[in-house]
Amino acid sequence: MSRIGWIAAAAAVLALLALDALLPHVLNAYYATIVIRIGIAVIAAVSLQLVNGFTGQFSIGHAGFMAVGAYVSAAFSVYVGAGWLETLLGVLPSGLARAVYYPMALLAGGLAAAVAGLVVGIPALRLRGDYLAIATLGFAEVIRIAILNVDAVGGARGFSLAAAEHPAADLRFEGFGAVYALVLITILVIARLVYSSGGLSFRAVREDEIAATSIGVPTTRVKVEAFVIASFFAGVAGALFAHSEGYVHTNSFAFLRSFELVAFVVLGGLGSITGAVLAAAVLTAAPELLRGLGAWRMILYSLLLILTMLVRPQGLLGTRELDFGWLRRRFG
Amino acid sequence: MNVALLEIQNLTVRFGGLTSLSELDFRVEPGSLVALIGPNGAGKTTAFNVITGVYEPSEGSVRFDGDEIGGRPPHVISQRGIGRTFQSVRLFRGLTALENVRAALAAAHRSGLADVLRPPAWRRRERELTAQAHALLARLGLGHFAEAAASGLPYAAQRLLEIARALATQPRLLLLDEPAAGMNPSEKQALRELVARLRGELGLAIVLIEHDVRFVMDLCERVTVLDHGEKIAEGPPDVVRQDPRVIEAYLGTAGSGS
Repeated sequence: MSRIGWIAAAAAVLALLALDALLPHVLNAYYATIVIRIGIAVIAAVSLQLVNGFTGQFSIGHAGFMAVGAYVSAAFSVYVGAGWLETLLGVLPSGLARAVYYPMALLAGGLAAAVAGLVVGIPALRLRGDYLAIATLGFAEVIRIAILNVDAVGGARGFSLAAAEHPAADLRFEGFGAVYALVLITILVIARLVYSSGGLSFRAVREDEIAATSIGVPTTRVKVEAFVIASFFAGVAGALFAHSEGYVHTNSFAFLRSFELVAFVVLGGLGSITGAVLAAAVLTAAPELLRGLGAWRMILYSLLLILTMLVRPQGLLGTRELDFGWLRRRFG
Repeated sequence: MNVALLEIQNLTVRFGGLTSLSELDFRVEPGSLVALIGPNGAGKTTAFNVITGVYEPSEGSVRFDGDEIGGRPPHVISQRGIGRTFQSVRLFRGLTALENVRAALAAAHRSGLADVLRPPAWRRRERELTAQAHALLARLGLGHFAEAAASGLPYAAQRLLEIARALATQPRLLLLDEPAAGMNPSEKQALRELVARLRGELGLAIVLIEHDVRFVMDLCERVTVLDHGEKIAEGPPDVVRQDPRVIEAYLGTAGSGS
């Protein structure tokens, strides 16, 4: 990493620590939840952007992979992790014990979702266009209904993150710093993957699949790669959701959630990471901030969506990114 | 006789009941410049699509550099050293000209982990690829279009960019599918000179599909003529153009009613 890179990384860590320390004192629990949900929505939207925006494969089942991540990490925490966390809490101060434990729980969710992405992606990505969209939607529902019928994770009652045998280990977790650290990592990983010579393969597949194979791009592999990476981050987002809420139910991952994520990437601009960030943040906050308007809330929200489609059919940013060039030029 | 770079034997391609190519034999020697001509629907593009793996041969063999490649996936055949352009331009329209070429330079050696971690070696390679891409664009006279979106280029430049992209895969055999289509006479002349120059400088073999017999006459050393999926003539251009079967294929005969 260059010196600038180290400075940026150090600044990011400091900012996250400050966020972590300050926000709980500034925001009440309601706003705190919104801020966390924005972070989770951004992770899910940016990862979906890799598939829908950059690789051009229209998936509308992303919430299914969030569900896998949420449930697997929750089950991991309740059945395995709680004991570990209890042991860690006995040895380390609370903050440190959680800093050691939670990456494992999130990784469990992410990896499980990545495996699910591989299993679903290999057959589904042979389909094109509408057929692929329908297949992903179908798979997401299959995943959701399957989970609904597993008694070990609560079935239709939902699954609470409370481990009866380990009362000392509170598995709930609302770390602003941690959530936004993961937001930054997701953006960084996907931006670096896509904006490199090798990453041009993703966009080559989007632009013209036959031309892409003619220059040696293994298109099926590229599509599956994109799908698996996106599923991993969706799983991490789901795991964060499960642990910040302390309770998961399959209703949170129904197709409406998938459509919401598609709305984020389409309105942000297919092929724009910063666009997806912007749209996910605004559209997650908007319904909450408009709550004061009562019944008018959803009408206004819908109008916002319709207006955006009318005025900016290519999405807020199209395929462009917000340009941070001035920052790079000043410090680079 | 030399060892052939590409050797097609007894190649037949059928789509259901339609025979698009029938028992075609076709050889390309290393470094040669040959043309594949024939009227519409003669099977020229089908031949290209079989060579590059888009279609599978129904019968017969396609050997490249001694290995059977018939039915292999297109990206594998590209990596073996066959580059191509398309009859209807197929660029990555949303990418810049430079990105079109960089994508082709990097396609066969992708490493996601290096892309994410970006060690110094990655940075060096990335700079090298960009420099190579600029050099290729300059070679085809597209230097000033580097940062322009491919979709916005003039038509002739789009055709040249497709050639640049194909060259970026470092092919030993380049297949050009009607490269002069839609060009005006002066652009055609420039293209002719370019093709001859590329063959000379890069030492690659080139197969050219063309409608226009005159375009290939003084350019190619050998011409193969297809009609209705069958080879009807093969040889030096001035011999082929006198061949009565070729004249018949292009103009029809008095008795054929056309």
